[in-house]
Amino acid sequence: MKTLRVLSAMMVLVLVTGLVASCARPTEAPPEPTEAPPPEKRVLRISFSWPTYIDPAVGSDFSSSSSLCNLYDTLVFPTTEGGVDPHVADSWETSADGLTWTFHLREGIKFHNGSELTASDIAFSMNRMLEIGEGYAYVFLGTVESATAPDDYTVQFKLAKPSGIFLISLVRLYIADEEEVMDNIVTPGPYGDNGDYGKEYLLTHDAGSGPYTVKEFPLEEYLLMEKYDDWFGEFHPNAPDEVKFIGTTEPATVRTLMSRGELEITDQWQPIEALEALDEMEGVDVAAFLTLTEFYYMMHTQKPPTDDIHFRRAMAYAFDYEAAVALEWPGTQQSRGPVPIITAGHNPDVFVFQRDLDKAREELALSPYADALDDYPVEVHWITDVPAEEKWALLFQANMADIGINVEVVSTPWTAVVEETGDIETSPHIVTIYVSADFPEAGSLLKVRYHSDAAPTWSQNEWLLDDELDQMIEDSLTTVDEEERYAKYRDLQDYIMDLCPSLFLYDQVQKQAYRSDYVDFPAARGEVIPLMGLVFFAPKIGVTGP
Amino acid sequence: MGFITFLVRRILHSIFVLLGLSIVIFIISRIMPGNPARMAVGPRAPQYVIDEMSRLMHLHEPLHVQYYYWLRDALHGDFGTSLVTRRAVADDMKEFFPATLELTLFAGVIMAGGGIFIGILSAQHKDKWIDNVLRLVSYLGVVTPSFIFAIFFLLLFGMALEWMPTMSRLSPGVSPPRTITGLITVDSLLAGNLTAFLDALWHLILPGIALAMGGLAQESRITRSSMSDNLTKDYIASARSLGIPERVIMRRFLLKPSLIPTVSILGLDFAGTMANAFLVEFIFNWPGSSSYGYSAMLRKDLNAIAGVVLTMGVVFIVVNVLVDIVVGLLDPRIRLAPQRGE
Repeated sequence: MKTLRVLSAMMVLVLVTGLVASCARPTEAPPEPTEAPPPEKRVLRISFSWPTYIDPAVGSDFSSSSSLCNLYDTLVFPTTEGGVDPHVADSWETSADGLTWTFHLREGIKFHNGSELTASDIAFSMNRMLEIGEGYAYVFLGTVESATAPDDYTVQFKLAKPSGIFLISLVRLYIADEEEVMDNIVTPGPYGDNGDYGKEYLLTHDAGSGPYTVKEFPLEEYLLMEKYDDWFGEFHPNAPDEVKFIGTTEPATVRTLMSRGELEITDQWQPIEALEALDEMEGVDVAAFLTLTEFYYMMHTQKPPTDDIHFRRAMAYAFDYEAAVALEWPGTQQSRGPVPIITAGHNPDVFVFQRDLDKAREELALSPYADALDDYPVEVHWITDVPAEEKWALLFQANMADIGINVEVVSTPWTAVVEETGDIETSPHIVTIYVSADFPEAGSLLKVRYHSDAAPTWSQNEWLLDDELDQMIEDSLTTVDEEERYAKYRDLQDYIMDLCPSLFLYDQVQKQAYRSDYVDFPAARGEVIPLMGLVFFAPKIGVTGP
Repeated sequence: MGFITFLVRRILHSIFVLLGLSIVIFIISRIMPGNPARMAVGPRAPQYVIDEMSRLMHLHEPLHVQYYYWLRDALHGDFGTSLVTRRAVADDMKEFFPATLELTLFAGVIMAGGGIFIGILSAQHKDKWIDNVLRLVSYLGVVTPSFIFAIFFLLLFGMALEWMPTMSRLSPGVSPPRTITGLITVDSLLAGNLTAFLDALWHLILPGIALAMGGLAQESRITRSSMSDNLTKDYIASARSLGIPERVIMRRFLLKPSLIPTVSILGLDFAGTMANAFLVEFIFNWPGSSSYGYSAMLRKDLNAIAGVVLTMGVVFIVVNVLVDIVVGLLDPRIRLAPQRGE
């Protein structure tokens, strides 16, 4: 009984302590940090969808790309116009047949560990990426035959075929220090003598020479990077001393952090309502800018009834694009064709569908399925992980009802979409997906969207399997002359529109709330490097508060 | 002796429960949509890389063979590599599980202390205004999911009033203590680092209370109900007729038997809290194993799913055995009752 009395007393004590601690304003401030950062330290904190991979041969998603460009250097650096500037390479030339590319390097570039960046590190980084086959390897696989270093400051790539986008694709070849990586391999591993090729080490460390270096990386929480003062590039006068990528997209958390001055820029996944609330906060604005991402309704061209072009055209005419655009952030525009308008090689004269119910009915009348619409319901799969997609699916359903087409809206998890779109039999009539171009060139997107090689992947539910189209895409991508290549891209867009394989809803506007009162965010000024992750290239962002 | 036999039997049963759990979770994780090899190497990885990953994961083998490989490694403490974090699941669990354990222990203390205290208070003032108010609050606690409390606390105490920290286990700049148990409050006390201890405690309050609210309400309702029942028993009337003071009756004759159902439910609530903490962990960016398990589910991270579920299963079983012991201590009929066959 005595024990019970003690227990009761403890319970009361705990309860009272809990209530007092939670309900009463503390008379003392929270405990002082043991190592408080100096007040003059500039910190840039951005929320991200997690996880993030900082191994240059593994990461390729949004947060990973944003991290990699801050930790590693590349041979060339992308420009806001969609081209490239010299970076680690100060010059380059290509052979007459377009199969050999030679780059001459700047001297004296130092990795974060102090050793010098040389050509062998670049050859190593390319070979490592190709052997691992993950991350951005798909950009180079099938194109790059070999990477060698004739001397310390010259690196040479032999290509299997000429490539018009090879130069721009090098912005995804992040250069790692060969010695540091190989000193930290774990053996045995899946890569023979190379053990694990340093994958375990590079999970939480960097081996780069970029403007920032990893300071702390608790995997599920955040990535903290600190400024590398010996970086060879130029910093904004108020560039952050520390950059922290925080792994959360939960709207209530993000909003709270923003209001407390503990977050400078939000992730791009905040719902419209959350962005509007953030926009109303004092000192907070929303930066909105066009991206290389387009929202598609991918129609299966081999499965009844969407295998019939008149049926597809009827749906394209029946859809209300204006209403669809109105559901997005102000300033969003209807897509003009198969590639976003800011993509180099976009065809401004391409045919664009508008809602016209008379034309829709005319097209439907030409379809063999016109008299049996009840027997051919159309399944639209939208991705459960992106709840906002449902409203467009419901709009589509309502629009199609206007011409008598029955639409079944199906919420489908992303993992299931990846699986079902891998097979022509299991792919649904329509899948709604955002697809991004890897590079600001029309060809890079057209290849992953419409080439037959991409048919068994999530980036093409259309199953076009069109040899002529494949030939046109390959021909354009191997054309080294820029103007000629762009002309071919334009022809490609006309060809695709004639097939009407997809509905092109809108070019995605990336929206991010940011502390406009103390952050100089170039993207908000319209200075956007149109490549995934590059808007968070921290050396160009200024921070003067909070 | 009977009680020890009972416990041994419970522990032996637990092993079979774990084995059954491992089979169920293995099958569920395998039939979930999505190719885990593709998820592991990224959606645009070439086919040969996916095939190689499938081979490494034994995905080309029949299900029972896959289970054999998986169980063999699991018995050696090797749950394989997480497809999300890309490191050993065992390492992940070592890092993330203590965070969840610390949070749920804190919530458990609030549930037990607060629930029993409120229950007693309600029973003592049965059908008076204080009882009515506490019952109303309890109903609210039971019907409101913990994540609603989490968002409410975050917006009120974190954003509007700015009294409390809103994310992570420690403030930026506070040096974490050397990891011994992984529970920062405990490790910081062991290291004599009072600043880290207070800061960790400070960070526990909002997510801990949010997590505890459902259980707290449940415990208070059960304690009240149990005490109310016991109040009508003959032995209480007898005690009153003998002139024993009400305070003594309450403490000596009423509280102990009334706590038995509360303790039983408390065990279940505690284990359930641990498994269901993922939304609260997400909201407070708490690096725990619940949110880790949730991410694993979304990404079809088979090894991590199995690791998390089995760990939670072990916790569930351990807590239930502990509850049996406590209930046995509280109720002699249980610990002294002869077991079947004796």
